[in-house]
Amino acid sequence: MHCPILIAVVIWSSCVDSQKIRGISLSYKRFYRERKSFLCIDGSKLIPFDQVNDDYCDCADGSDEPGTAACPDGRFYCTNLGYRPHYIPSSRVNDAICDCCDASDEYNSHTACQNTCRNLGQRERAEVKSQMRALDQGLRLKQQLIEEGVLTWRDKQAQLRDLQRVLDDLQTQLDDLRKEDARRKKEVDALRELEIGALETEENSHRSHIMNESPVSIFYELDSNRDGRLSAKEVRAKLTDIQDGERVLSEDEAVIRGRVPGRLVKGEPVLKAAVSAAEKAAAELKKVEDAYETVYMEIRDLREKLATDYGPEREFLFLYNQCFQLKVHEYFYELCPFNQVTQTSASGAEVSLGKWGSWAGSPQHRYSQMKYENGEPCWQGPTRNTVVTLTCGTETALRSVKEPGKCQYVAEFQTPVACRPALRQQGVHSEL
Amino acid sequence: MAAFIVRMGPVLMLWLAVCVSGSWAVDRGNFKTCDQSTFCKRQRALKPGQSPYRALLETLELTNTKLTLQLINDNNKVRLLLELYRLQGNMTRVKINELKPLKPRFEVPDVLINDPPTEPLSLLSQDENGMVLSLGADSQRLIVSAKPFRLDIMEGREVLLSLNSRGLLAFEHLRIRKDTLADPEGAEKKEETDAASEQTEGEEATKEDEKVEDGMWEETFKSHTDSKPNGPTSISLDFSLPGVEHVYGIPEHADTLKLKTTDGGEPYRLYNLDVFQYELFNPMALYGAIPVMLSHSPQRTMGLFWLNAAETWVDISSNTAGKTVFGQMLDYVQGSSETPQTDVRWISESGIIDVFIMLGPTPTDVFAQYASLTGTQAFPPLAALAYHQCRWNYNDQEDVAAVDQGFDQHDIPYDFIWLDIEHADGKRYFTWDPHKFPQPKEMLQGLEDKRRKMVAIVDPHIKVDNSYKIHSEIRSRGFYIKNKDGGDYEGWCWPGNSGYPDFTNPEMRAWWASMFAYDQYEGSRENLYTWNDMNEPSVFNGPEVTMHKDAVHGNWEHRDLHNIYGLYVQMATAEGLIQRSGGVERPFVLTRAFFAGSQRYGAVWTGDNAAEWDHLKITIPMCLSLGLVGVSFCGADVGGFFKSPSPELLVRWYQTGAYQPFFRAHAHLDTPRREPWLFGPENTALIREAVRQRYALLPYWYQLFYHAHRTGQPVMRYSLWVEYPQDTATFSMDDQFLLGRDLLVHPVTEEGARGVTAYLPGNGEVWFDVHTFQKHNGGQNLYIPVTMSSIPVFQRGGSIIPRKVRVRRSSSCMEHDPYTLYVALSPKRFAQGELYIDDGHTFSYEKQKEFIYRRLAFANNTLSSRNLAPGSQFTTLSWIEKIVILGASKPSKVTLKMPDGKESQLEFDFDASMSVLTLRKPGVNAGVDWTVVLQ
Repeated sequence: MHCPILIAVVIWSSCVDSQKIRGISLSYKRFYRERKSFLCIDGSKLIPFDQVNDDYCDCADGSDEPGTAACPDGRFYCTNLGYRPHYIPSSRVNDAICDCCDASDEYNSHTACQNTCRNLGQRERAEVKSQMRALDQGLRLKQQLIEEGVLTWRDKQAQLRDLQRVLDDLQTQLDDLRKEDARRKKEVDALRELEIGALETEENSHRSHIMNESPVSIFYELDSNRDGRLSAKEVRAKLTDIQDGERVLSEDEAVIRGRVPGRLVKGEPVLKAAVSAAEKAAAELKKVEDAYETVYMEIRDLREKLATDYGPEREFLFLYNQCFQLKVHEYFYELCPFNQVTQTSASGAEVSLGKWGSWAGSPQHRYSQMKYENGEPCWQGPTRNTVVTLTCGTETALRSVKEPGKCQYVAEFQTPVACRPALRQQGVHSEL
Repeated sequence: MAAFIVRMGPVLMLWLAVCVSGSWAVDRGNFKTCDQSTFCKRQRALKPGQSPYRALLETLELTNTKLTLQLINDNNKVRLLLELYRLQGNMTRVKINELKPLKPRFEVPDVLINDPPTEPLSLLSQDENGMVLSLGADSQRLIVSAKPFRLDIMEGREVLLSLNSRGLLAFEHLRIRKDTLADPEGAEKKEETDAASEQTEGEEATKEDEKVEDGMWEETFKSHTDSKPNGPTSISLDFSLPGVEHVYGIPEHADTLKLKTTDGGEPYRLYNLDVFQYELFNPMALYGAIPVMLSHSPQRTMGLFWLNAAETWVDISSNTAGKTVFGQMLDYVQGSSETPQTDVRWISESGIIDVFIMLGPTPTDVFAQYASLTGTQAFPPLAALAYHQCRWNYNDQEDVAAVDQGFDQHDIPYDFIWLDIEHADGKRYFTWDPHKFPQPKEMLQGLEDKRRKMVAIVDPHIKVDNSYKIHSEIRSRGFYIKNKDGGDYEGWCWPGNSGYPDFTNPEMRAWWASMFAYDQYEGSRENLYTWNDMNEPSVFNGPEVTMHKDAVHGNWEHRDLHNIYGLYVQMATAEGLIQRSGGVERPFVLTRAFFAGSQRYGAVWTGDNAAEWDHLKITIPMCLSLGLVGVSFCGADVGGFFKSPSPELLVRWYQTGAYQPFFRAHAHLDTPRREPWLFGPENTALIREAVRQRYALLPYWYQLFYHAHRTGQPVMRYSLWVEYPQDTATFSMDDQFLLGRDLLVHPVTEEGARGVTAYLPGNGEVWFDVHTFQKHNGGQNLYIPVTMSSIPVFQRGGSIIPRKVRVRRSSSCMEHDPYTLYVALSPKRFAQGELYIDDGHTFSYEKQKEFIYRRLAFANNTLSSRNLAPGSQFTTLSWIEKIVILGASKPSKVTLKMPDGKESQLEFDFDASMSVLTLRKPGVNAGVDWTVVLQ
């Protein structure tokens, strides 16, 4: 390996020719041309040139000591050949901690720093490369997902239209059935009115055998408050003598709804038929009502979901109805995007860490963070909430969940749709 | 955090039941009033008057070292033994015990650093009414009056202090239980009766004994019953201080520096307690207890050290306190002969009367006297004086790394990051949570790479869990405190059911110390230090959230030694940290509970305060009080523990904390995160600046602590009466303080403050604003406009303060950095200061005399550095980079002269508007002699 030697030579030679101007970047070199005197960059003071980097702070702006720790808010330029050059606070010069990968900050401490720039550079380039690969792949996947999203969106719209049509149909049916049902009920009521009238006249004389013969009259007899229902109390009051002494009639057993006394009217064929027709109509009505309700709810849900902001190209639509899990030690986390975040402990107790709130990224990158709010309240604290940060990757998965402050969760959610072409620029920038 | 709630749910609920009141404040009902503590009630029921005690002069024995004399209580004929010692350094020790107690009464061990050396007493005169003894030098005499018994210490014609002058000496002697409840074993009873009958006039004594009051043999508070097998054992004594209007000390209370009179209210209570959300400005007991009171008048400063570790109450009354201004004026006009006087009364539940009277006469003398008894402040590693970042809790290794990184990103220095109870595996101290902290050594190495350190908590409650090594070892060795029935005492604390090691047992302490060895404490490294919390001890389900008084430590009840338990925990821990390094490294241990002598083992903090402005204010008197009684290394949680501070309060707290000895931010688990950079760039910059001011001043802090360690002088002093003992105007002021002699700090503790009024002491002195270098005259109240940028700090004219202005990311990184000397001239153009340098962390300064200690003096236009410790040797890489002379005039030439005769001219810069002369780069090594001459 002769590369390290080459780098060492380069550094050595650069040291020789810039002894006085250690710690500055090329662009600042013009301020430090070797002359008799040096003008502080802010123009505040003129000092002899040999007071530049002499380990004493003369300029208020720290510009006379770019290569030492003498000035309080100075900065030191790490050239970091082979890696990324950058500034460090001058207080990190000669503090026995290696900050610049080229070791240039520790020229006068007892710490032997290795030049690690080449390794770092290689590693970073490799990383950037793989990131770029991932980004490219991610962007391709994102495009697919956007296209799928368009289809899904159309499907959903179509579904909504279909459902709306179904709902309209059901509405029509409902109107008809409600009329039919009302008619049937009226018929039954009329017939029953007749029957009861007839029975009442016979009531007194036939009391004893009526007890054995007519269930309607028994019902009537028991229904002491005439509300069309038998309560346990009423039955108990009348039937104490036929109780077996151990069993007590429960409320459920005792209540017989006045609406369905049909079973009690075995003996009356006309009434029986009418009642059964009414029952049928009612059942039919119930069925359609249920269907209506179901479809109505479905439409409402769908509308709500379609009203959610799925990103400028609806690229996040595919997450709709999906959930992602992650186990962190004894906890099991689940993120259902646009719905909720939950935590389940080993004991099986599930806690809501927040319900879908809004996109919460910075104004430039609104879609880089999601906020889930109003989860379960904390002991002596606010309600739990979760901020989900979306990162670019080739897979869609929940990567981490943490709780940096009590009941304030942060999660990392990786997905191709978080990939942005702008990331490529950033990556290229850091690539040397 | 959720995990916490799930696991700690039952504990919290219990704790809640024990501690939490509906409103935001302490639940006073959880803690006893004097009336609810039956011995206090009994003692307080005694009113001043004729004392039943009489000195039996014929029993006098006078030896070279002490005088002994019997006292008799004429009501019950029980005899007491009085021992009087004249101690070296102008102190008198008065011990009173029963002449023949049924069994020994507890005398507090391990507090005095040695058997105090005595001086001979001599009998000057004696008659049937009493005797006069000479207290050695000066004209001090001790007068013993026989009937009633009374002691007066006089100097010339003046009474300095009287004992039992109000007749409140009361000694509940040990007795045999006579009421129906008790039926001691026959043999025991017989033996005790024999012992009792040995006393003269034993029969009469028995009669007196039969008066049994409620609470003498059993006492119930809330649901807890104290079995009191020894019956009533309390003691009390009163002291009168003629000419004294100001008394201080007896921490820990969240109250003003000047102690208030307690007539008609509660006495000050000393009983180490874990008080949840403590209230300000009242005499309730808190986490620590130091039974030392200082009295001060322009003529004299004195101290009383009541060496007793049982529950103690202190009553204070004053003959001037009740007077209106009009009344005082009337006294003045009429020439009232009544001199002001403060009366103090101490009441303790058990033990003996053992009181040290420190006769001053100056504040410095009293500090030296107290230090000669109990030792001085431990000299901390330099890094411990830097900034500490704490939170309950830094969640895991990643969190620690991120916070560490945050400090670097925002260029804020820090030295220590702290881990609270969640770091351990199920609150099993000495272990690490395997998920959150799987690689503690790697984490510590990461901090070491930045030259930073960590503190992990180790509390004295040990989880009862047979698979936990610490528990099983303590149990098998029989080191746990026992309950009254002889089993291991168990109580509820953070880990759930817990045992409490008996730290009063030296074998237990030795074993505990050995647990800090690197091969015992897994995951520990050199840069891991320790924090002892909950060592009052806190017992969530115990009476007053602490241990049952009838718990047993060997031969003694917990009642006898409660207040010293916390001291022993810190003692054993500090010893462990010393031992793990083979005796090389200085330890750093923080404790919440403390007692007299705790200063020898590390730092204390004021416990669980709150993010409120008043809590910021109270930090000043609380730490000043501790400083007066030896504990200089004191601090309060910056930002407040409970609740969440506004950014303004947080910034003001950082600015104040930067000038208080122990500088640590801490926060409760339930509070939102508050690392310094979370409140916007402006507040980040303000906090950065506050922390940097601290770091620049570290050389001065270190030197103050060296001084405190050597002499016992407090680091954070009450400005006026410690340094300006004649300046009565401000004897009660506690909103500002001095650091050492030379820095006056006036924190801003009002929300939205636009200005503060600081008192600059010293007629004829001058003070320089350290931010602007503006000069102000002493002896005046000065209104200073303030902005958010800083708090007023002044340097005394006549002082020289060394700083290291190259603030780096940790104090270790600044080790070899050069010094800047700030020379503030007095009106007579004089100044002096010191410079202390050593390796910053080992005992070599002590063992090998490896340190630099120099006197810096400016006089006759000449500034020089001279060696103050010729026997010492140490070499430093640090040099003098700049000298800033405040209040100077412009010289024509500045010459640096070295001892070898070499001379060189120094460049300088003179700012005429502020009269500031800056000498450029003398460049001399900080450890050598040099002279700078202004011409």
